[in-house]
Amino acid sequence: MQFKDQIDFIRQHMKRNKLRVATTILAATMGCAFLIVLASIGFGLHQTITDDVLDNNMVTEIEIAGKSGGETEVAPADIPAADLQKIREMEHVVAVVERNQPEAEAQTVIGNRSAYSRIVLSSMEEEQKAGFALSEGKMPSKAEEIVVGYHMAKQLLTEAEMEKEANGEEVDGFAGSLIGQTIELQLTPFRDEGEEAKESSSWEFVVTGIAKEPAKDWMTDNSVYADSSWGAVFNEELDLQQGYKYILVYADELQNVGGITDTLKEDGYYVYSVTEELGSMNVFFTALKAGLIFVGTIAVLIASIGIFNTMTMAVTERTREIGVMKAVGAQPKLIRKLFLMESAAIGIIGTVLAVAISFAISLLSNWLIPMIVLNSLGEDRPADFTLVISTIPWQLVVIASAISIGVAMLSGWRPARKATQIDVIQALRQEM
Amino acid sequence: MIKIRGLHHHFNIGKKGDQRQVPVLKGVTLEVSEGEIVAILGKSGSGKSTLLHILAGFMLPEAGSVMVNGKETSVLKEAEQADFRLQNFGFIFQNFQLMPGLSAFENVELPLKIKGMDEKERKLKVENLLQKVGLQEVAGHYPNELSGGQQQRVSIARALITDAPIILADEPTGSLDSETEKEILLLIQSLNKKLGLTFVIITHDEEVATVADRQYRLHDGELVKGEQRHAI
Ligand SMILES: Nc1ncnc2c1ncn2[C@@H]1O[C@H](COP(=O)(O)OP(=O)(O)OP(=O)(O)O)[C@@H](O)[C@H]1O
Ligand SMILES: [Mg+2]
Repeated sequence: MQFKDQIDFIRQHMKRNKLRVATTILAATMGCAFLIVLASIGFGLHQTITDDVLDNNMVTEIEIAGKSGGETEVAPADIPAADLQKIREMEHVVAVVERNQPEAEAQTVIGNRSAYSRIVLSSMEEEQKAGFALSEGKMPSKAEEIVVGYHMAKQLLTEAEMEKEANGEEVDGFAGSLIGQTIELQLTPFRDEGEEAKESSSWEFVVTGIAKEPAKDWMTDNSVYADSSWGAVFNEELDLQQGYKYILVYADELQNVGGITDTLKEDGYYVYSVTEELGSMNVFFTALKAGLIFVGTIAVLIASIGIFNTMTMAVTERTREIGVMKAVGAQPKLIRKLFLMESAAIGIIGTVLAVAISFAISLLSNWLIPMIVLNSLGEDRPADFTLVISTIPWQLVVIASAISIGVAMLSGWRPARKATQIDVIQALRQEM
Repeated sequence: MIKIRGLHHHFNIGKKGDQRQVPVLKGVTLEVSEGEIVAILGKSGSGKSTLLHILAGFMLPEAGSVMVNGKETSVLKEAEQADFRLQNFGFIFQNFQLMPGLSAFENVELPLKIKGMDEKERKLKVENLLQKVGLQEVAGHYPNELSGGQQQRVSIARALITDAPIILADEPTGSLDSETEKEILLLIQSLNKKLGLTFVIITHDEEVATVADRQYRLHDGELVKGEQRHAI
């Protein structure tokens, strides 16, 4: 029998029992749609959280938190410069930044204004390669020159202004540009509780550039970026401990972060990157998705009972016709195929409808639920946070379709086999 | 064309543990040559249908040989039987056995579909044949819209459509009135003459047997040669 005729044949049969076939398809549709929608929540949440992580991190940044050195562990500050140079020369690595923070409280002073600040000691050249950029001015060329954070000017307040701000009033801070201004940097060593206040020292710097605005509008940057050579100067003058050193490796593209991370790990470095964070999350979400698909499959299995019933009834009803077909010369293989195709057709139609319905439900819930949730949070809602409830990637469509159609064909298997086993003589004896 | 030798068959009757063997065929031998009409008569329950079912390959005999067109069919597997039937046999049943969901045209077309013939070729062939058996007017009718005689014509057309050389008929006129019976018998006779088809007709009706070239009587599990006469 030609394939076209087979399709024709099962279409005719399905038409003859419209209501029964329709209700069976409905059940298959509901089962499959349940599976897709349920699993889509796992995919959606995964996406929300992945987006959030990628959004809030320098995604191409890999932090080196140390290195294993046989028995002992090597702290970032003790990793030899030659090793870091090797990393710098790795493929896809654009920069290796070594950032130091002195163990001291820092205050910037200009005239009668002052602000608490964070000191970042680093090679500005390397920082620039890593993506550090200015909103104004130029990069320092001498050791006495510095770059200050975007919000520095606004944070430099007089004492009167500080009081005002404490009372919740708006203050303007330093008016005009800080570029070219000389800033005094006052460092006071950290002290433990109960310890006496320690002597502070100050240095003067010329501001040559203002860093660009931070990516997130809730971040404030009032740092002082100075050359790393100052670390030794500060430590000596104030008798400070060697502070923690951040070693950050920058990849050219996100897709290369994983490779670099793996290589560094092989070389014994303790590393931390977005791919690491996402990696451990992926494990969790893969398990969650698998679990949801499993639960959804139960719905598909329940629907398959309907398909089994429908096909069994179809075979019983058509016993005489099957007998005639066989008498005329139809192969048992053909009979089986026709019935399997019919149950597959129910599965396929149900799946197609289910996919369409699932996309509609997914769209609707992505629009409705975040609206309700975010509104109920009122003012506290996190800024620019997008909540994705449900995502249907093509992989989910493929998995759900395979499960639904597979289960439909499996449930049609027994009835189809029963059809092939029908005895011609018995079948022909049946009344019309 | 058909050579049956020493055919034996019995049925097991009754529940398990209390079974009885009922022999139905006890060494049947029959030869049918090409272009013949052979009638097999016999009382109800004498085993006529059983003989036909074995000949058609619907069931396997307990013992004996069935040769059709030089091929031993009693050893074929189910799938091979189906194929063999498609090539060699056409069937006419007492209660027509038409597909209720298919029109007269589609019923006749069915064996060709199973054979896998192209739609164009198929349609042409069916139209031709329906004309020959006088059904072109009712081609689009469904079985429940046809008279008994018309239904049997459809069923005969379906038996002929594959150009099978042998037509097996089990009580072909059993459900028809005597007027229609005559019509159908005339059709069978003319098909036999024009197309040279071989017919094996099973009947308990002496009248039907009159179209046959040879008659046999199945009695007590054995086939006995009946009188030979050419009628009509
Ligand atoms: N499947 C079966 N199981 C048991 N016995 C059977 C079976 N089929 C037929 N028989 C028996 O075999 C005998 C012959 O049956 P068969 O149908 O061949 O007779 P028949 O000559 O065709 O009769 P009729 O003219 O009434 O159609 C009968 O006694 C019947 O009871
Ligand atoms: Mg009979």
